[in-house]
Amino acid sequence: MANVQLQQVGKTYDGGVRAVETMDLSIADGEFLVLVGPSGCGKSTTLRMIAGLEEVTDGTISIDGRVVNDVHPSERDIAMVFQNYALYPHMTVAGNLSFGLERRRRHPSRLRGLFDAGYRSARREELRSIRERVEKAARMLGIEALLGRHPRELSGGQRQRVALGRALVRDPKAFLFDEPLSNLDAKLRVEMRTELRILHRQLGATMIYVTHDQEEAMTLGDRLVVMHDGIVQQVDTPDRVYREPANRFVASFVGTPTMNFFEGSVDSAARFQVAGLSLSLPAAHRSTPAGPCTIGVRPDALELVSDSENAIPCSIETIEFLGDRIDLILNSDVGRLVCRTAPRSGLAEGDAVLLRPTEAGVHLFEPGPDGARRSKS
Amino acid sequence: MRLVTSIVRWIVLGCAVLLTVWAFGRVGYRELSRVFSGGAGDSIELVVMHWSGGGGQQEDQIVEDTLSAFEREHPGIVVRRINPGDSGQYFTKLQTMMAAGEPPDVFYMDFERIPTFASAGQLAPLDEAIAVEEYFTPAVDAFRFDGTRQGRGTLYGIPKDFTTVGFYYNASLFRRAGVPLPEDDWTWDDFITAARRIAELGDGVRGAEIVTWPWIVRALLWTEGVDILDAEGELDLSDPRIASTLERLRAWRFDEENTLLGAEAEGLDPSSLFLTGRLGMVGPFGRWVVPSFRSIPPVDEGGFDWNFAPLPRGSEQANVIATVAWGMSPTSPHPEAAQRLLAWLVGRETQESQSRLGLAIPTLRSVAYSDAFIDAEVAPSNDRAYLDAVEHARVAVWPTDPEFSTQFGRWMDLTLRTGRDLDSSLSGFGGWWRDKQASPLANRDFPAMPWSIIVIISVVLLFVLGFFAVAVARGGRLSTARRAEERAGYLLAMPWLIGLVLLLAGPIVLSFLLSMTRWNGLGPLGTAEYVGFANYHRIFVEDTTFRESLRVTAYYVLLAVPLGQAFALGAALLLNARLRGVEFFRAAWYLPSVLAGVGMSVLFLWVFKSDGGLLNTLLDPVLGLFGLEPPEWFNRDARLFGVPAFALMNLWLIGGSMMIYLAGLRNIPEELNEAASIDGARAWRRFRSVTLPMLGPIVLFNGIMALIGSFQVFTQAFIMTSGGPGDDTRFYVLYLYNKAFDFYDMGYASALAWILLVVVLLLTGLVLRTSGRFVHYEGLRQ
Repeated sequence: MANVQLQQVGKTYDGGVRAVETMDLSIADGEFLVLVGPSGCGKSTTLRMIAGLEEVTDGTISIDGRVVNDVHPSERDIAMVFQNYALYPHMTVAGNLSFGLERRRRHPSRLRGLFDAGYRSARREELRSIRERVEKAARMLGIEALLGRHPRELSGGQRQRVALGRALVRDPKAFLFDEPLSNLDAKLRVEMRTELRILHRQLGATMIYVTHDQEEAMTLGDRLVVMHDGIVQQVDTPDRVYREPANRFVASFVGTPTMNFFEGSVDSAARFQVAGLSLSLPAAHRSTPAGPCTIGVRPDALELVSDSENAIPCSIETIEFLGDRIDLILNSDVGRLVCRTAPRSGLAEGDAVLLRPTEAGVHLFEPGPDGARRSKS
Repeated sequence: MRLVTSIVRWIVLGCAVLLTVWAFGRVGYRELSRVFSGGAGDSIELVVMHWSGGGGQQEDQIVEDTLSAFEREHPGIVVRRINPGDSGQYFTKLQTMMAAGEPPDVFYMDFERIPTFASAGQLAPLDEAIAVEEYFTPAVDAFRFDGTRQGRGTLYGIPKDFTTVGFYYNASLFRRAGVPLPEDDWTWDDFITAARRIAELGDGVRGAEIVTWPWIVRALLWTEGVDILDAEGELDLSDPRIASTLERLRAWRFDEENTLLGAEAEGLDPSSLFLTGRLGMVGPFGRWVVPSFRSIPPVDEGGFDWNFAPLPRGSEQANVIATVAWGMSPTSPHPEAAQRLLAWLVGRETQESQSRLGLAIPTLRSVAYSDAFIDAEVAPSNDRAYLDAVEHARVAVWPTDPEFSTQFGRWMDLTLRTGRDLDSSLSGFGGWWRDKQASPLANRDFPAMPWSIIVIISVVLLFVLGFFAVAVARGGRLSTARRAEERAGYLLAMPWLIGLVLLLAGPIVLSFLLSMTRWNGLGPLGTAEYVGFANYHRIFVEDTTFRESLRVTAYYVLLAVPLGQAFALGAALLLNARLRGVEFFRAAWYLPSVLAGVGMSVLFLWVFKSDGGLLNTLLDPVLGLFGLEPPEWFNRDARLFGVPAFALMNLWLIGGSMMIYLAGLRNIPEELNEAASIDGARAWRRFRSVTLPMLGPIVLFNGIMALIGSFQVFTQAFIMTSGGPGDDTRFYVLYLYNKAFDFYDMGYASALAWILLVVVLLLTGLVLRTSGRFVHYEGLRQ
């Protein structure tokens, strides 16, 4: 296992397109790091640079202390799982699993085996060990029964497991995952997520994982790297990314339903003025400077209240029932809002209700779509 | 919106219908009006067909002018002229027109084909038509045939021109070498002495070139008082002088350096070498080269003096006549008008105007000896020598089997062009002729092909099949809507289906039936005789040329298919790179496949020329390092190198395969290569383990297409080598063509075609059966 360091790494494509802005990243040995962001944010490019599939235009990448900028992918001792699995369609599952090992054999020559008995037995030993490793990986993933099949005879989930197995069998310094679950259906995706998590714990391996799905990122990662337009927005644990998003982009990207934002301004009395409403800021934010700013409130931090004190009058547009909770989609003077709450009787579409943000649920951001978070006092 | 769509649809449909009706109507009207106006008799249309070989544009113009003059003199007669090109294309066209029952009224006829065409009843007797006393007798007699032997009997053509042969010599080189100029009674010793002395001049100068066409070889034998045919026209090779004369020629060519050139073998016109001024003598040629030789500038303008000397004498003085006649169809609807036209075409006025152009020797004696022909002012000054040679000249009459002369030339080639042992060539030829004559196909009578029964059976079969097809179609339980859809589907496919049955399946079945007949392809199908499987029997048991052509073709397939595919794939891999300007290279690589054909063949003749060709010029210094010489591709080394030359040339045409490979490469997901990279595979291993297996089905497709195409090689060989020397480059389809259109054995050719079909079918099946192991279709299904 190994750590991976990115120092001042950036990527500019031939046509001059800047895909990744200069970034520094240090991935610890055994860490599960998730690169997350909307498509085109540079997360895959970053991963591919680590894999050696894209040239690094600035900075250095080192694996286990060795600078690998000019090292061929095959020499980096990493394994990668692709979104479309990239299984070799003409090989059986066993062939797919062993391909990487076969390429790394120390005793490949048959010819030499004819003359050299020692070489011959070493060769046999090597082949046996490859077979064992393939079988072990297959057992771990529950695909022993599929070893003789071709990829086209497998379901999506099975293919995904084979792709995982192909990485696993090599016992590499680091695993790279490029949106490996996005071709699976929702249920399978959740299952595989759990398995990946367990696998990570069993192996204790360094894993770098790319996804555009923030939920996947939150559930899998020890740490998240949120990227947008080639720029790293925040590097932190899932919990802190959720609770203390570095800016409005991160806040809106992480969490479902998306955070509600109100663009208004804070007056000298530390009250937030928006669309004719005047809301008092929570105690923690009282010292924030006056002027335009954005307030963000997650849907589950909005409470249905009966008194109008500090509340936003809304009308229910529609109710989405989710079993243990409901999402209310509401119209108000400050715009459309989403409120997540426990199911309750007596709510109907068209009803007028009052909503109040909880004390702890209010986030303040600088104005603008990418406004930075204002820290609490 | 739907209304607009439907209106547009109806307009398009209407236009298509109108266009079709108009096109058919136009053609129909033209054909019908021709039939009716011909019958009404207000104007007669005659069809005249000729070629323009050595005469080229000039000959074309002469015929055109002569016909215009005829039309002016004979109002009410319209002449339609057809010129299909050279004599090869001419006879193919003539044969198909005759088989279709619509021969031209008046047409060129060379004397060698008189027996074939006269026996097929395609030539009108002309004894009564024109008085021939005024014409050179040997030329006229060439067109007589009495049913078994040529040279006597009924007259089937009036010679339009003729020539005797001899050598054209470069007088300037003779003077430089200090050799006396040839006299009219010079000998072969004089000839070879002069050639050797001129060769000693060095500086790339060669002594002479002797062409070895079959009828010229006969003439060479005549000068030593021997012939391969005895007085009864039977083959007799026993006279030792035959071997000694031919051996002398072989030795001149192969045992002496620079004395003889042997360039004719490379498909180059030897007469064009003479034009360069580096060849002492060239021939034996007739008058036909004179127009092009007249372009040689005089000495003071950097050219040289040249003249003509008749064929040298050996133990006897001899010469050979080559002549072409105008013949007439016996089925012409306007025999009188056709006769008048024929008389016009060989008449005094026409001959005078033609001979002034220097192209031909008039066949009318009085015109030949007039100043219309003899003109000392322009070269060659020795015009009279052509006429004086007539005295001891004859026509090279062959047995009636048209294959005889070709086979003679082919066997002689083996010795005279590739230097192989003379005795085996002579005995090989003799053996071939004995076998052929012993074959039942040559001397048995067979019953006529029962076409009426076959037609009845086919019609009944078609009805039964149609009935079954309808029954099967009705059998399925289909909803009304589905049935209507199905009916519409069949209706839409109908034009193609009808085309398939009439234009493809029909001829295919017919060719199978023909393969069991003896039919010359000249007369109507009714003249075909049923021979059972005799053609197949002869092909498999006796036909050595068949075996040879199969060997040549297999050799080619084995070389060209793997080599071509490897290059195509290699080129595709290179051109798959994402580089700036790669589109240009893609187009550049593809372009030759568009340009293929005759032009390319002519171009490659120059590339593969033994002496001074592009390839050998490049190879010479390289091979020289190892003390080797580059091969004479289409000459001495043709048996080994002739076919590889064609396989190399085939590399020029890989564009099509390359494009398909390129498309296949584009279809391979980039991730697979990336995954393999990460798995530790470098470029070569990725190619072997990912690219190649993923391309499997495409390799198979391209391979099969190349396999089929390689079995059908024709144009290149036809243009470049005509199958020679010997049979060293006689590809299967070329042999098939020879049989059908040179030897008038359409039944035999059909049998050959069916054998080819079966061979290709079996091989393709074998490839498909065994491909499962190494071709993976998974890549396509993903």
